[in-house]
Amino acid sequence: MEQILFRHNRPGRCVTFAEYQAEGGFAALKKGLSSMSPDEVQQVVIDSGLRGRGGAGFPTGKKWSFVPRNLTGPRWLICNCDEMEPGTYKDRILLEANPYSLVEGIVLACYAIGVRHAFIFIRRGYEQAAANLRRAIAEATAAGLLGENILGSGFSCDIDLHLSAGRYICGEETALMNALEGKRANPRAKPPFPAIKGLWGGPTVVNNVESLANIPYIIAHGPQWFKATAATPEAAGMKLFCISGHVANPGCFELPLGMTLGEIIDGPCGGMRPGSSFKACLPGGASTPYFTKEQWGVPMDFDPVAKAGSRLGTGGIVVFDQQTCMVAATLNLVTFYARESCGWCTPCREGLPFVVHLLEQIEAGQGSEEQITILRDHVTYLNNAFCALAPGAMGPVDGLLRHFEDEVRAHISTGKCPCRN
Amino acid sequence: MPKLIIDSISVEVADGTTVLEAAQSVDIPIPHFCWHPALGKAGACRVCAVKLVDGPVKGIQMSCMLPAQDGMVVSTTDPEAVAMRRHVIEWLMINHPHDCPVCDAGGECQLQEFTIAGGHGIRRYTGSKRTHVNQDLGPFIAHEMNRCIQCYRCVRFYQEYAGGTDFGVMGSAGKVYFGRFQDGQLESPFSGNLVDLCPTGVFTDKTARFRARYWDYEMAPSVCQGCSLGCNTTPVARYRELLKTTARQNKAVNGWFICDRGRFANNEVNDPQRPRTPLVDNRESSRDEALDALLLRIAQIEEQYGTGSIAIVGSPRLALEGALLLPLLAQCCSAGALCYFTSQEESDTTLFLTGLLSAERSASQQDVRKSDCIVICGCDPLQEAPMLALAVRQAWRNGGVVYVIGDGIDLPCTFTTVASLDAVPLADAKQPVLICSAANRPDLLAATLKQQTHLKLAVLFPEANSFGAAQLAMAQGAISLERAVASGTIKGIISVEADIPPQLLAGIPFVAALDWRLTEAVRTAQVFLPTTAWVEMDGTAINHEGRAQRFKKVMHPGLPLRGLGPAVHPPHIHRSTPPGGDPQPAWQIVALIIAGLSGERIAEPFSERWKRLRELEAESEGVMTHDL
Repeated sequence: MEQILFRHNRPGRCVTFAEYQAEGGFAALKKGLSSMSPDEVQQVVIDSGLRGRGGAGFPTGKKWSFVPRNLTGPRWLICNCDEMEPGTYKDRILLEANPYSLVEGIVLACYAIGVRHAFIFIRRGYEQAAANLRRAIAEATAAGLLGENILGSGFSCDIDLHLSAGRYICGEETALMNALEGKRANPRAKPPFPAIKGLWGGPTVVNNVESLANIPYIIAHGPQWFKATAATPEAAGMKLFCISGHVANPGCFELPLGMTLGEIIDGPCGGMRPGSSFKACLPGGASTPYFTKEQWGVPMDFDPVAKAGSRLGTGGIVVFDQQTCMVAATLNLVTFYARESCGWCTPCREGLPFVVHLLEQIEAGQGSEEQITILRDHVTYLNNAFCALAPGAMGPVDGLLRHFEDEVRAHISTGKCPCRN
Repeated sequence: MPKLIIDSISVEVADGTTVLEAAQSVDIPIPHFCWHPALGKAGACRVCAVKLVDGPVKGIQMSCMLPAQDGMVVSTTDPEAVAMRRHVIEWLMINHPHDCPVCDAGGECQLQEFTIAGGHGIRRYTGSKRTHVNQDLGPFIAHEMNRCIQCYRCVRFYQEYAGGTDFGVMGSAGKVYFGRFQDGQLESPFSGNLVDLCPTGVFTDKTARFRARYWDYEMAPSVCQGCSLGCNTTPVARYRELLKTTARQNKAVNGWFICDRGRFANNEVNDPQRPRTPLVDNRESSRDEALDALLLRIAQIEEQYGTGSIAIVGSPRLALEGALLLPLLAQCCSAGALCYFTSQEESDTTLFLTGLLSAERSASQQDVRKSDCIVICGCDPLQEAPMLALAVRQAWRNGGVVYVIGDGIDLPCTFTTVASLDAVPLADAKQPVLICSAANRPDLLAATLKQQTHLKLAVLFPEANSFGAAQLAMAQGAISLERAVASGTIKGIISVEADIPPQLLAGIPFVAALDWRLTEAVRTAQVFLPTTAWVEMDGTAINHEGRAQRFKKVMHPGLPLRGLGPAVHPPHIHRSTPPGGDPQPAWQIVALIIAGLSGERIAEPFSERWKRLRELEAESEGVMTHDL
């Protein structure tokens, strides 16, 4: 299968600057800066149909186009590498194998939006990825591919790497900007959207690592080529899927968007572990409602997954086998979100611990019918939280009540967890 | 001007008004914790949820975050909105300790009100509650973090509005903590406002803790007497004791807040040593005996030293009512001098500066908050009138530039130090304000005002009624006591709430004093008559701008129950007034003296040009007195 982001990968080590260049790296940057206008770069990205790979799936080129033109004062690009969603590790795998596509992509994006200074906001634990990026930035700067007057084009661009202090909420773009400004990482109210008023009040674009790393290939090979790498006509491009859980061969694979869930699990993942059968999975990271065997044939692309009642999210697929207690699994996930709430708004700060408490009681066999009602209330009313953390956290609870209500009831009626002896 | 419909009521509001404010404008209450008119929106508590049933936005929305738009149809009573608000209250009550019986905020707690109003009654959460360790925040403010509902009002006020740095928010998720890095007194001179702002009982007034419930309070609209700004307050009393003081809103004056100096100023009123009994030659006597003695002594002095040997001395802290009657008193006893100021210097500067302040020239605190260019010259607002420093900070937060002439002062905002007024681009400013005090060079000031016609002036006078005293002194041709005594003819002084230094009293054969404070004049007086403090009377003060404001009687004068020993309480003798209940408002005593001297009975102190102030409402923005 053709690979885009993983095409330069070397087994067991990071690709070098020389190897990356020898295999055509930074050609897109040269092409873009020498023969294309910023608007043309933006148009190619819009035409490619690239949708944001960070979870929300917003079209990347369209996001760029929201930045007001003819505006004086600084504007910013932030690469969001605060990958903290449980079950998601694609950006780490990518950056540990190849940081250069990201650097090249950032420069192209900055060129397209007219940004002088970009930030990479990276999760604290990603030490290897951060080291790779530091080296890549230094090498690119030394080679004149970054910094003042890149390749004599007159365009200048710097990249700063910022190590996050480490909270899940820092991945939310407005909280990220607050964190970058040295403030508490609380999300900001929208509107104004970051493209209008973001970092230090300037227009700001926040893109995921994978989205930006795809840009050089789109510029180099054209939008139609990129689109055609997907598995369905509706989808566009390849996607890094990171599969974990009870499959035979868990790992991060670059696969065409639109492959079905079944094809992914039975294909690169080598099916379920011996003795395991598929019960459910989180299709796109910890904040997405579960898929069951019923959704086995759903194409793993943004719209089809949404239509099937969940979200493609980050493409972090977590697979559960028949022995998994879904109440316990959900409890584990919501506990994470309750801990990672920033504490700003009431539904998230107080509602999530309440949900944890309810699930704990149900799992311990002390649940009641009323608690199912309360859980349902929370699925509804946590949607009115300040940011998307709380609604996301209720994704698994929503899935639990939709697909596994019987299992929840069994906990209550038998007074114990049926998956434990 | 968007037009919208809220609960079938049509509302038209100004651009930028939120749905919450639009609803309030037609008396539709929407619960709110984090939103505050002075602090704006935060979107944190989520209790102001309403449902938008039609128009450009649909569904459940937070009314504090949503600007009103044309065509919106808002329902505050939609079942979904009601359910959302009920859930928010349920969430907040999960960890709230529900310790209302031992909480000082009980009875005046927004959380209580909205819990009742919101319909959440039965607790469904069965787990344990989170607990915090409280901090010692000093002698004025008690800290009880377990009650916190994380509305973030305290930190938004303390850091953003007031510029404090020693108090903030720490932790995250369910462990958000509002406090200091370590125990210690809050450093901000505005810290007491946390008590008013907290929607529940995290911050309570330590000086009044466990003394009374809201429904026990004696309260009335009042005006702070701490400096010349005249910030509006609501003092709270019980059992003849001033318990605490809270801020009262006046948009033109103090906005929503007051400073700690004005708030925690109960001691003088409650002081057990406060002179509360009439004295004649240091013997306790009845009010009538003291009055008779005073009239007799006045006659004796006149007889002995001739007419013109008595000085009537008012003061800039004396309420306007009393000050207005002094000219008549002076006339009745053929006084040689009518004085509103003791020192010649204070008299000169106050009269001069008052003369510069026309209704157009005077800058209110609101003018300062709205200004784009502020110059501070020869005064220290943070020390002399803290609320004005807070107003300066608001101007700075809105983009205004602050200049300070000279050095050695501190402000809760960034400022530029300049050598003189020439270095300030006054001509470019839209609404410049010059803040100065009686210490300024008058000639320079007058010249500047002549040049800069759009420059407004905020003068910091020392006392609550300095402006009024100066107006009267000017109209009556009063002189300073210093000058009167220097003439050598003054043999008797009648001090009406005046702070007279000992050197001016030395060698004066007769001193009578009317006061509620233990001043030097009270100590030396042969006849003393106790007057009421401002919280014990209806009165009027004219603030630094020339704005007359009415304050109302909060409590009866009398020795606080707390100051009574078992020997006098419970009382075993029948009496019609409480112990220490003799004080009368100064103007009434002055009126009695006048009646004794001339037979003229005065029931109303406001006459002639001051008549308009008879109708002055305490709960108004006040009346400018320049053109009365």
